[in-house]
Amino acid sequence: MSLLSLANVRKDYLAGDVTVQALKGINLTVEKGKFISFVGPSGSGKTTLLNLVGCLDKPTEGTVTVAGVEVNRMDRKTSAKFRGDNIGFIFQNFNLIPVLTVYENVEYPLIMVQDIALKSRKQRIDDMLDRVGMADQRNKYPSQLSGGQKQRVAIARALVMDPKLVLADEPTANLDHDTAYKVIGLMHQMKKEFNTSFIFATHDQKIVGEAEIVYTMEDGLITKVQANGTAGGGVK
Amino acid sequence: MKNIIKISWRNLLRYTRRTLLTSSLIAVGVALVIIFGGIGASFKDEVIGTITNSNLGDIQIHKKGYVGSMDNLPLDIVIPEQGLNKIKSLLDANPEVKVYSERIRFGAMISNFVQTTSMRLTAVYPEKESNTCPALTERIKEGNSDPKTFVQPGSIVIPANIAAGMNLKIGDDAVLVATNKDGSVNGVTFKISGISENILGPQGKDGYIHIDDAVSLLRIENGEITEIAVKLNDFDKLKKVYSRLKGELAQIPGENSGKPAFEVHSWEELSPFSSIVKIVTLLIMVVRLVLVSIVLISILNVMMMSVYERIGEIGTIASIGTPPSKILALFLTEGLLLGFFSALAGIIFGTGLLMIVAAAKLNFVFGMMKLSLSPQIPTAEIILSLIIVVVISALASLQPALKASKMEPVEALRHV
Ligand SMILES: Nc1ncnc2c1ncn2[C@@H]1O[C@H](COP(=O)(O)OP(=O)(O)OP(=O)(O)O)[C@@H](O)[C@H]1O
Ligand SMILES: [Mg+2]
Repeated sequence: MSLLSLANVRKDYLAGDVTVQALKGINLTVEKGKFISFVGPSGSGKTTLLNLVGCLDKPTEGTVTVAGVEVNRMDRKTSAKFRGDNIGFIFQNFNLIPVLTVYENVEYPLIMVQDIALKSRKQRIDDMLDRVGMADQRNKYPSQLSGGQKQRVAIARALVMDPKLVLADEPTANLDHDTAYKVIGLMHQMKKEFNTSFIFATHDQKIVGEAEIVYTMEDGLITKVQANGTAGGGVK
Repeated sequence: MKNIIKISWRNLLRYTRRTLLTSSLIAVGVALVIIFGGIGASFKDEVIGTITNSNLGDIQIHKKGYVGSMDNLPLDIVIPEQGLNKIKSLLDANPEVKVYSERIRFGAMISNFVQTTSMRLTAVYPEKESNTCPALTERIKEGNSDPKTFVQPGSIVIPANIAAGMNLKIGDDAVLVATNKDGSVNGVTFKISGISENILGPQGKDGYIHIDDAVSLLRIENGEITEIAVKLNDFDKLKKVYSRLKGELAQIPGENSGKPAFEVHSWEELSPFSSIVKIVTLLIMVVRLVLVSIVLISILNVMMMSVYERIGEIGTIASIGTPPSKILALFLTEGLLLGFFSALAGIIFGTGLLMIVAAAKLNFVFGMMKLSLSPQIPTAEIILSLIIVVVISALASLQPALKASKMEPVEALRHV
């Protein structure tokens, strides 16, 4: 069973009187444990696609299946639960909760989403912070961190829930070049350690090279699929 | 739950200035309610105490129609002996009735053999009367003020204004001349045994004699009286006892008509000052209403701002799977915490101020009443204002919190 499949997915936005066709018929299957990138010019539909895959939005037409579940018809509560159980999110603006420390940010989904008991929680968080190299910053607040550090915390927050799929929309857009590489490298390493699938969308041609499969999008359609043999990962 | 409180609390502290501003506004409102409620309640108690304890009693019973023509102190609208006995057995059987006092009230002329003036008299059994109106003998400033014996057959207590106006002193003789209900006039000489402060009311010329003297002065042969004043064990049960008495008295029909023979009135219906008590009660209600609107407006405002400022954050937590119910709880808790702690601050502040007022022992004269305000800590008012603030805070945060919990994550995220 594939992790993710999209069949004939279309998405229209109504902007005033005009209908924008953001996705014009996407067919796609993704296997477990892959490191996947979507590239393409601005407005090509990357974010729209990721939102559908992440159960944040519903397609106008077609079906989206994630981890064997058809997600297009879920109500708000069910889809929130589904996201909490299956999908991790990493955001362009890091989106950490400003009133919580590094440790508490990683703890947040375990408490508010998954209801994990204190004891097992603590170990998972400590372990996660270690892996992303933020253990020594655990008591700092997000405002005291650099962009790269924030994104590491965000990666830890996404992975601590043990998701089947991590979605990252432009995760490096607010980072400098070196940091961007390091963050992508970390994501790749995490993918291997947890055998989780990562899908990230980016403009940045240079970091695309890190992906195992690269989908190129143009004007609401996937125009090219490219498998990278060089999928080495790590820091450059 | 602990974590929801933690996050909400930190979010409150995040906008320190705004939170403090809102909080102090609510605290001042709560403090106002407590101070006003405390002082108002003590003022009410003082006024009621002064009125009921000095001459009115808590409840009065008359022959039907008496109160309507009370200004003339009629002697033909009386409680006959037979009816009196029935009423007495009712009162004796009622556990809430502490004591009662039979009275004959009438108008008379008093003369010092040179001058004559009119006055109103209440004829009583001294011990029963001073048990019913414990503050009465405190008003007797000269002469015999012993509650058990302040009027004896042959003696009279006159108010200070008559004593001054007619130059009467303790031990002097004075003649009371009164017309009885058949129209015949009679006069009896009395010794002044006490001079009292002027009693409440527009005329203010009220004196006391022993009920036996009234019987002979007015040539009453069959034991009739005009009034019974009743004192209760627990003033707070006034309404209950009043309606019970009313019901029981209605069972006693008049001799010729089938209608009830007697009427019962509470002090409120008999004293013009009861409206002041009602006004104070109303003012306390108004202050409470002001508190409600302060809390409603300020919490609603703060919480709407909070939700608006944190749309992006709401998008984030919603995306990663926080259920809508917990998002609702986060914002509700925030509003509740703000309200609760503001109310606590206000309670401490208000109680402190009230204790200062109580320590200062405010004394003042209101009308002819000497009042001394010593407000108690109004526990009921404190609990009530805490409940008001918490409930209104919850109501005011509900709409913003619902809004937050219903946000579409995609749209909220785009807002960043
Ligand atoms: N909420 C919306 N309402 C109307 N049109 C929208 C909305 N969101 C996206 N679009 C339109 O849909 C198309 C695809 O947008 P999308 O955000 O998916 O592109 P993208 O590939 O993520 O672009 P970028 O690289 O700039 O992030 C664009 O034409 C965009 O204007
Ligand atoms: Mg985009």
